[in-house]
Amino acid sequence: MVSYAGVGSLLPRLGWMRMRRPPNPNPRSRWPTRTTTTTTRRRSRSFSSSSPLRAALDSPDVSLLADAARISLSPNEVREFEPKIMQVIDWFGQLQAVDLESIEPSLRANTEVDARTREDAPEAFDNREAIIAAVPSYEDPYIKVPRVLNKE
Amino acid sequence: MALIVFRGGFRTNHLLLRRTFLFSARRDSSLLCTIQQHHQRSRYNVRAESLQATESKTSSKSIQMATKELVEKKTRGYEAIIGIETHVQLSTITKAFCSCPYTYGSQPNTTICPICMGLPGTLPVLNSKVVEFAVRLGLALNCELSVASKFDRKQYFYPDLPKGYQISQFDIPIARKGYVDVDLPVEFGGGHRRFGITRVHMEEDAGKLLHSESESYSQVDLNRAGVPLLEIVSEPDMRSGIEAAEYAAELQRLVRYLGVSNGNMQEGSLRCDVNVSVRPIGQLEFGTKVEIKNMNSFSAMNRAIDYEISRQIQLHNKGQVDQIVQETRLWDEGTQKTFTMRKKEGLADYRYFPEPDLPEVVLTKDFIDQIRQSLPELPEEKRRRYENLGLSMQDVLFLANDSSVADFFDATLENGADVKLAANWIMGDIAAYMKNEKLSINELKLTPQELSELIASIKNGTISGKIGKEILTELISKGGTVKQLIEEKDLVQIVDPAAIEALVDKVIAANPKQLQQYRAGKTKLQGFFAGQVMKESKGKANPVLLNKILAEKLNCPS
Repeated sequence: MVSYAGVGSLLPRLGWMRMRRPPNPNPRSRWPTRTTTTTTRRRSRSFSSSSPLRAALDSPDVSLLADAARISLSPNEVREFEPKIMQVIDWFGQLQAVDLESIEPSLRANTEVDARTREDAPEAFDNREAIIAAVPSYEDPYIKVPRVLNKE
Repeated sequence: MALIVFRGGFRTNHLLLRRTFLFSARRDSSLLCTIQQHHQRSRYNVRAESLQATESKTSSKSIQMATKELVEKKTRGYEAIIGIETHVQLSTITKAFCSCPYTYGSQPNTTICPICMGLPGTLPVLNSKVVEFAVRLGLALNCELSVASKFDRKQYFYPDLPKGYQISQFDIPIARKGYVDVDLPVEFGGGHRRFGITRVHMEEDAGKLLHSESESYSQVDLNRAGVPLLEIVSEPDMRSGIEAAEYAAELQRLVRYLGVSNGNMQEGSLRCDVNVSVRPIGQLEFGTKVEIKNMNSFSAMNRAIDYEISRQIQLHNKGQVDQIVQETRLWDEGTQKTFTMRKKEGLADYRYFPEPDLPEVVLTKDFIDQIRQSLPELPEEKRRRYENLGLSMQDVLFLANDSSVADFFDATLENGADVKLAANWIMGDIAAYMKNEKLSINELKLTPQELSELIASIKNGTISGKIGKEILTELISKGGTVKQLIEEKDLVQIVDPAAIEALVDKVIAANPKQLQQYRAGKTKLQGFFAGQVMKESKGKANPVLLNKILAEKLNCPS
């Protein structure tokens, strides 16, 4: 059973399905173009693009997805995965049919997130040896990773 | 619905928190208010941290002026548009989402836990201080606060970010639409400016990566991962390197006044990414913007931006506009140039989505009011107040630059000291001592009471200015009180004409040869006699009386 409150917050997570269409742009990338449109509270709080009731969702660009996930796929694998991913998208896509016009947008599903914050009091983690031991490649005092130079 | 509520109370949609109203055309009028004319350019750059001029004192001023003129000449016909993203590391004890303590310079990978290492199954819990600091800064930047904001995940893949995403704020930042007022340094021509603030949002820092030149691996230190940051995005309101540097210097002053960060650029607690574009004057659309990073002082920022502006204008002039591309350039201090770090191919897709592990951040009116009431007097208010006391802009900027210096100055005034004299002592001997000994004003043994006592003692003639300087050195380094030092060392100025006369007689009697020469016409020797009398009085003779009596004695032989 999916509650309506949950629907609104689930949609944003499907953002990757719309990769080919620019999502709400990052405010940084928008700079220095000035946007003068006044967004309503509702729109500004929603991550979904302009037409939330769009019936069909675009098919994914599997190569692009693979690149974003830092996995390499052969052309055969891309062809193999494409319909499978589309199936999942279609399944979630059924949610697009839900009429949300009268529903207040919510930031997230009604999950049991602990709403308390924390005092700014230090507490050192007491089993550092164990987390360091779990690091695949460690050369005291640094974690070793393959040589990386900026890739965004 | 899960919410973090900051101290119960009612919610309104957005609170307008501006102190004054915006002019209708703020965006087009970055040059506004009073453009003050400053004629005293005699003193060199005294603003210790505001502009860390590394050149020698005398040459730096002329270099600055020359650079300024050069820039003006070069930019003819073009206009530079500058916007700045500033990351401020908050001086909380613990990280943003876990209880790990963070101290700059700790042994690598010691202040870490499963949460900031991004291990599976861990959950972030927000540090309440982060929200408090964000509200403090938001209010100080005259922003509108978002009564309900939220965290989002910004995905990118890099080893300094163990979770594979950064917890940040995307479409609903905690504060937006503010502004900051600055006064440009006198030696750069002065002037008052207002720069817009687009937004302020909370996020976490990443770890540190070390790339070795020769090896095939990189090293990661995760101590800094998860440390809270505030990102401040400015409107593209700046037009020159000095405006940008002064904007950044004002942010540093603000975060220090507010106590939310140490604002230290060398340690990376205040990092500025500057976007620069150039367009022919009159053109409406912006030119291609270039991002500059790696400037670790305000003066480097100033120089890097002015270099970048002239580089872009040169390309315009040569008809090579197409060679200005969207890229990130680094400032190289050695060559005083910017160079390409990476070209930006398309816009990064961060696939933002709401952070499901953290509740909304809800601010109540009570919480905001409480913070507003606890705000200290801010740099801009201080500068205007000092200006109204009759101080010159040079003095105003120096005193308001550091809140502890300003506090010391204010405390000195509270003890009844003369405004201008107090400013002169602080900016002169005291500042010089602090600079030499690398001490802050709070580390001196001198108290504001004693400084005002000293000023009063000179003003009422108890001691001479010269003795005052000597006492001050003693007070700064060893402490004690002015009264006690005057008594102990028997330093009270001699103002009794009879006593001075006796000293003069003694000196004249001891130097018959010089007296003869003087009376033979070598009147320059009066200086010699004056020096001898002063020496005889151990510096305590009132110089005006001394010279008067001496002249009488030398010229009318008894």
